[in-house]
Amino acid sequence: MAQESTCPVREIRQEVASALAQESIKEPRARMRAEKLLVLLEDIAQGRAGSEHLADLKAVARSLTERQDAHGADLGQRILSLLESQGEIFQSHILTRNCASGACDMLAPAPCQMACPSGIDVPSYVALIGQGRYQEAVNLIRQDNPFPWVCGLVCTHPCEFVCVRGQVDSPVAIKELKAFAAEKALSEGRYLNPPKEPATGHMVCVVGAGPAGLTAAYFLALKGHKVTVIEALPMAGGMMMVGIPRFRLPREVIDREVAFIEELGVEFRFNTRLGVEVTLQSLRKEGFEAFFIAVGAHASHRLAVPGEDLPQVLDAVRFLRDVAMGARKRPGERVLVVGGGNVAIDAARTLVRLGCREVTLLYRRSRSEMPANVEEVRQAEEEGVRLVFLTIPVEVMGEKGRVVGLRCLRARLSEPDARGRRRPVPIEGSDHIMAADAVVTAIGQRVLTEGLEHLDLRWSSWDTIVADTITAGAGREGIFAGGDVVLGPATVVEAIGAGKRAAEGIDRFLKGLPQPTMPAVPVRRARLEPWEMAASLKMDLKRCEMPLLGPERRRITFQQVELGLGEEQARREAHRCLRCDICKRCGRCVVVCRDRMEIDALKLGYVGQPGESPTDFRMTSERCILCGACAANCPTGAMQMEDRGEERLLILGGTILQRERLERCQGCGDYLGPSRYLDFVRKRTSGLAQAFAGRLLCEKCARRATAESKSGMSVPQG
Amino acid sequence: MSEYYLFHDSSKCIGCLSCEVHCKENKRLPVGPRLCRVMTVGPKMVGGLPKVDFIFMPCFHCERPWCVAACPTGAMQKRAEDGIVFVNEELCVGCKACMRACPWGVPQWNPETGKAVKCDYCKDRVDKGLEPACVAKCVTKCLHFGRPEQMVDSRRERHAKAMAAVGWEVTLRQPTAPASKPRKPPVRKQAE
Repeated sequence: MAQESTCPVREIRQEVASALAQESIKEPRARMRAEKLLVLLEDIAQGRAGSEHLADLKAVARSLTERQDAHGADLGQRILSLLESQGEIFQSHILTRNCASGACDMLAPAPCQMACPSGIDVPSYVALIGQGRYQEAVNLIRQDNPFPWVCGLVCTHPCEFVCVRGQVDSPVAIKELKAFAAEKALSEGRYLNPPKEPATGHMVCVVGAGPAGLTAAYFLALKGHKVTVIEALPMAGGMMMVGIPRFRLPREVIDREVAFIEELGVEFRFNTRLGVEVTLQSLRKEGFEAFFIAVGAHASHRLAVPGEDLPQVLDAVRFLRDVAMGARKRPGERVLVVGGGNVAIDAARTLVRLGCREVTLLYRRSRSEMPANVEEVRQAEEEGVRLVFLTIPVEVMGEKGRVVGLRCLRARLSEPDARGRRRPVPIEGSDHIMAADAVVTAIGQRVLTEGLEHLDLRWSSWDTIVADTITAGAGREGIFAGGDVVLGPATVVEAIGAGKRAAEGIDRFLKGLPQPTMPAVPVRRARLEPWEMAASLKMDLKRCEMPLLGPERRRITFQQVELGLGEEQARREAHRCLRCDICKRCGRCVVVCRDRMEIDALKLGYVGQPGESPTDFRMTSERCILCGACAANCPTGAMQMEDRGEERLLILGGTILQRERLERCQGCGDYLGPSRYLDFVRKRTSGLAQAFAGRLLCEKCARRATAESKSGMSVPQG
Repeated sequence: MSEYYLFHDSSKCIGCLSCEVHCKENKRLPVGPRLCRVMTVGPKMVGGLPKVDFIFMPCFHCERPWCVAACPTGAMQKRAEDGIVFVNEELCVGCKACMRACPWGVPQWNPETGKAVKCDYCKDRVDKGLEPACVAKCVTKCLHFGRPEQMVDSRRERHAKAMAAVGWEVTLRQPTAPASKPRKPPVRKQAE
């Protein structure tokens, strides 16, 4: 990591440690208390602390202030005021066993977990899959996210973009592994909901059964609240159900996962719209104390060009919804899709499946600017969708009330602006007409505000509710909001994250607890032993290929495109993980080996600055003498050196970097070290006289031999 | 060799390990490393009686130390002014080359810091004009520290006294020496 941010826990711990080391605290009882403080702080910084640590810390710090020791009293006072001002960070260290800043070595979180909007402990569930413990993997995911299978199929996987393995070759297929574990767990049985807390008697109403609302319902139900979800559509799932086509996310997947939420006692009222069938007042009368507004962005932006009102101009959101609800009629033979996002791609691929002869997607910028997922774009092209870039629609051409084409301009990209975005600039005189029977527009979505006006909330200029980013509070007593209605059109996993945050905020509101002022840190759910394997295998494992349905078949059916990983494939994929929950990639091992020992055996490019050097685990064995300096300097214990049988091994996060046979002490037979290491020392001392006539002795035997020879000398002979 | 001389009068040593305890206490060492060691040699039969020798083993602070030569990081150093061999903790990376190189097994491993640690005659104390911790707290006063020219030649002194008192055979502790004139039994003092 380039730089280490600061953490109050680490700072005060170092301060106490140095005060003790420098003996600046003189009074014996003050010293004793400072030593106790250090133990407590160490526990917090190492993830060993329990619920009583904070109170203990406060009590000991207070008693330190009362001792007759100026330095000690000052230190105690500083801890007390730190607990006052930044107690949340101390609390978060204890509860999450993650230090968001990464400064506390043992609690440095993995990048994938920090990147996940729902905060899933990715390294732990990937490790569980690697061990074949699929049910446990799913249980672990569901402590943070009730939709492992949905996310396994459609998540935009921000985790994979930060995956450190990507610096070595390609990221771990985190999303695919999640789908695999979920499918495996369900095919072998069922999900086990986490234990539910005792009923609180509080009633919460969730508005919208999309990913945000369902997630909030799940976590609130687990907290023991009585949750009712009202939903305008006749089924649960929201945009997951009516926005994402079935060939990417089968309905059964959503239904199965929603069923486990329902099992927690969550009640659903379908075909019920807020502001129409029910109002805030009527719901309050029913006894609901808190509300979570989580409606989706179900309206489309308009192209704002002439001819847009022709009946064959469809907005993608409505089109996809109608198809999802069963209207499988193609809108025309030749269809143009306008837009470059995932919705545009989904619409185009759906049109292919409905039997449209020609499906062409128009995008204003070029391929590299497309916001759509690369994989989806590739699949769309395989299915026969034609992509046309740098094209701006200016008029829908109609004849006798029917669309006949789209007049477009070609564009070029401007130089990047201050934000680095390149704008499409129309080229004058490049008018041309693209023939079409129908046009589907997918240029962005917005929230339908009707029915929500009576809530009397603050709205942004983008028609989204202004809500607290930490608690989801929407500014009115008991009203919370999250998901698309706050974020604007977002992803499933962002909605899930919003629902999770809101659940926490609502729970605290209902229980009358103070709300946090800092964003929640994801929880480290486990610390699993890494899977041990040879360096060459770790390097050779390449990212798995998801088996797909053939493109011919895909063109005619809504059958799921991704066929899922096989068990062997999934486990091998899981073994690619570099376990960043253990190794914080500080690069100390490399620096020690290269600059201090001047051996330069470790080729671990990914632990240093990006692009500094390549990574090759296999190359360690060329130079490594197994001196153990890297392991001795590893702050997290990711680098381990151990003697096993006749061998000494160097292991980084499960990857065996080096192994050598050990030589034995000629005195006691204890293991000494591999011959490479002994040669290294021998070479360095070759200029000096040989002791013990070249006998190889361990340090204990050497002492004994010396003592014996000395003793002999002290007894005069004869 | 360093300019200092640490003399252990083994005939006065009772193997109480006070030296080791105070050494560790002074250096705040965890379980494991023992910078000075009292090694028990024996028992062997001397004149029909079992006898053990207590050998005090600090670092010899060699003239040309193996450990300094072996150290790849320059952490192991020999002080120019007085020849004390010591570890600079900042520079030590814990490769244990010094431990392997030392023929006497002097450098030790501190599992808490992951670094090597060794007897440096308590140079911080020496620099303040104090004796090393082991010497300062030796119960029987069998450890003596100083510059060789200042040291009392206690062995010679004792030998001379013993000769005057009982004759030379006893003092030499010969394996076959007859106990013709046994030493006076030690006077047992009342516990204080």
